[in-house]
Amino acid sequence: MATLKVFCARSNLQGLLRSAIRPVCATQQHRNHFIQVGQKEKSLEWSPIMDRAATSVFWNELFRGLGITFGMVLKEPATINYPFEKGPLSPRFRGEHALRRYPSGEERCIACKLCEAICPAQAITIEAEPRADGSRRTTRYDIDMTKCIYCGFCQEACPVDAIVEGPNFEYSTETREELLYNKEKLLSNGDKWEPEIAANLQADYLYR
Amino acid sequence: MAKYIEKISNALKIVKHNGGIVGTYLGLYRRDDFKWGTFVGEDKYGNKYYKNDYFFMGKSRWVEYPLSVGHDYDASQIPSEWHRWLQYIADEPPTQLPLPHRPWMADHTENFSGTSREYVPYSTTRPKVEAWVPPKK
Repeated sequence: MATLKVFCARSNLQGLLRSAIRPVCATQQHRNHFIQVGQKEKSLEWSPIMDRAATSVFWNELFRGLGITFGMVLKEPATINYPFEKGPLSPRFRGEHALRRYPSGEERCIACKLCEAICPAQAITIEAEPRADGSRRTTRYDIDMTKCIYCGFCQEACPVDAIVEGPNFEYSTETREELLYNKEKLLSNGDKWEPEIAANLQADYLYR
Repeated sequence: MAKYIEKISNALKIVKHNGGIVGTYLGLYRRDDFKWGTFVGEDKYGNKYYKNDYFFMGKSRWVEYPLSVGHDYDASQIPSEWHRWLQYIADEPPTQLPLPHRPWMADHTENFSGTSREYVPYSTTRPKVEAWVPPKK
């Protein structure tokens, strides 16, 4: 009997311990602080009813929306008006290719074919022959502008600054064949854009 | 109040810049915009260049194409000297800082794609393989 008593006391002790620890271990949750997130019930007093009726009868929301629209009409536009206004461009911009000339008018390209070798898209084709005066010049300098990825490696590879990517990007065409540039087209690009190309190179030469 | 006075004075400046109410309307018809600014220069193709730092960068310099091109104005009609100023690469217009000119430099041409003067590619070398022409007896 005594053994049984001890056993019961032990189990009671466990129960006692558990009930003593419970308030420390587990917190009881009281959920009574609710916030109304749904639509509130409309008041059925006379004065709010009249306000709501006036709002819908006189198209209050419509006029307020139109007011915002009209304000936006008067606002300064955040867009630029191309082609009258144009965005800023870097002197390093890599646009349409051009073959440059020396100030004397002699063409720079010496047909070293470094640009052809470095071109990752293999867009450049060069053939060369000695000219009548013995200097080595290209007879064919073709760039397939549809292959070109405008990486600028050709102008970095060029030892005489002959092939450059100029600042022009307005050379879109209606047919694909117009983008297969040959040497004459590239030289005439150079003759047209040389003032700006030379000035851009001058502006940037310290950083190259 | 000063805000509204400024708006009205800007409107008067716009009318003065465009040469009257009719000119302002025609300018709006042509350019979808009205602005006022100081005249910077004119190139030999008749394009007129203006600037006004009241507007943000991108709108502060603009070109007005000559009436002779009608509505066929195009951004490729801007010659390279002025292109440099208009695209904010340089701050000095070519009237202040003229770029060197060589006799071999060509006149500017617009993008002729789609016209009879478009560029047509051709080979600048003789073909490597030529067809055999039978000898005449």
